[in-house]
Amino acid sequence: MLFQKRSERLFIWIFFPLMLMMPLFLDGNIFYINKLSSILIFALFVMSLDYLVGRCGLITLGHAMFYGLGGYIFYIIAPQNEAVNFWVYTFYICVISAAIALIVGFLVLRTSGIYMIMITLAIAQMFFYYFSDSMEFGGIDGVFLYLKPETSFLGIKMFDLDNPTHFYYLCLFSLFNTLVFFKVIMASKFGRVVDATRENPERTTALGYNVFVFRLASYVIASALGAYAGYLFSMQYGFVNPSMLSWQTSGTALVMLILGGMGSIYGAILGTFAYEGLHYFFEHLTEHWMLFMGSAIILMVILLKKGIAGYIEKLLEKRS
Amino acid sequence: MSQVMIETEGLCKHWGGLKALDDISLTFADKELHSIVGPNGAGKSTLLNLLCGTYKPTSGRILHKNEPIDSIKPYAFARRGIGRSFQKTNIYPSATCLENCAIAAQRYMGGSFNFLKPRNKEPVLLHIAEEALHKVGLGHRKDTVAAAVSYGEQRQLEIAMVLATSPCVLLLDEPMAGMGHEESALIIELLKQLKKEYCIVLVEHDMDAVFELSDLITVMVNGQHLVTGTVDAVREDPRVKEAYLGQGDEVY
Repeated sequence: MLFQKRSERLFIWIFFPLMLMMPLFLDGNIFYINKLSSILIFALFVMSLDYLVGRCGLITLGHAMFYGLGGYIFYIIAPQNEAVNFWVYTFYICVISAAIALIVGFLVLRTSGIYMIMITLAIAQMFFYYFSDSMEFGGIDGVFLYLKPETSFLGIKMFDLDNPTHFYYLCLFSLFNTLVFFKVIMASKFGRVVDATRENPERTTALGYNVFVFRLASYVIASALGAYAGYLFSMQYGFVNPSMLSWQTSGTALVMLILGGMGSIYGAILGTFAYEGLHYFFEHLTEHWMLFMGSAIILMVILLKKGIAGYIEKLLEKRS
Repeated sequence: MSQVMIETEGLCKHWGGLKALDDISLTFADKELHSIVGPNGAGKSTLLNLLCGTYKPTSGRILHKNEPIDSIKPYAFARRGIGRSFQKTNIYPSATCLENCAIAAQRYMGGSFNFLKPRNKEPVLLHIAEEALHKVGLGHRKDTVAAAVSYGEQRQLEIAMVLATSPCVLLLDEPMAGMGHEESALIIELLKQLKKEYCIVLVEHDMDAVFELSDLITVMVNGQHLVTGTVDAVREDPRVKEAYLGQGDEVY
């Protein structure tokens, strides 16, 4: 069975049906639908980071670089005055960002631990300053994307991206597929070696595996999906700006990941929702929301050692 | 003497000014158990680490089946069938014993870049892994998480993992370290079986085990080769007595 843990199955049975029905509850309230879409997109991004950090043991502080690149690549390759095909451009963006990840990963993965954190940060900052200083990409303000892609596939128009509800379902669908995708590769023979490289790289080398190659493959996969999330984000509001690839974005994603529970993959969704929920709550309570937000996160990290996902797992174990 | 599996020619390893290994020339033959003994710091583990590619030699050559292998990548040693176990238990603690061996077996079974095939749906691979566990007497522990089995059993698992890689040379670094008497006896029995099939290089402090198992013994002192010979020859050698056994009643 793909979803082995009870907590995981429980989460999926509650979360996805609930999210499917959400637009009915919200009854066309565009603000909340858009808000939820962007949380789903970010959850997808955090999930790709969880695969790197939690499953591969590769801690990066530069993952937002691919989030931003997803948007910028889309801006660069798409023609200005013509609606492009969504599926074709999804493919392009994943391939191009995978190619970039291959080169970056080749450099970055020679290091590990704290050095890897530093070098991923450095490379991400290089991209950040490149885009925020360049005139043709609109500097710190970023650029606008005026036309949304159309989504016909084999001549059938599937949905309309200008419609927030349609876009919401696209995000939900993407998130679900990403979850299943990660679960499949984690359960595969490839996943077996990835688990081995995380837990004991020395022994894995002694058994004859080229650890570097497996890490590189994982890095490329996670980066391509991170870029896909950025591509969705840029489509939602029709703009790309350098803050997408700033280190704060990477840092926020890491915090969400730790809140949700590292390595569980579905915890990424929990973490993103918990973080955004807290954010929303404190923001409406006080101007100094960051103070409370920070304290709440510190408390949660201390109390929930394995994140929210780990806590749910423990609860279910106790009951059974 | 049967076919030579591994040969070292003038092997040296220097750490700065320290000569951990100095000009070691040895041959290890197939289907023989060759022990390496010596006091602490004699360079036994360093030699093993060179033979399995963890360290690169400062100078000298290593030949496997008459081909030089000292410049190949560390993981390539295992692919040539040079498997090693570690002095400090070096397993995947959160995985089950069976999974530990399955990781080892999957290397030569292939398909490690298969993203879709579920890892637990390959009977051949799991069978190999299970067989390796049975060989070391851990068959009943296959579904137990490796961190939860006893220390002695972890040592057995360590050997099972090497066996699951289908090696031709076994480099065993103190497989009996920290084991109880009964567990040691089990490993000795196991090694007796294994040396009929494999070329084994054994580094071990338990001298009873070494004398019982070895076809050849090499004694090392301070990174230098002192003597190589049969059990009886080494036992009678006055230099060995002086350097190693004769320093007191203490047995290392």
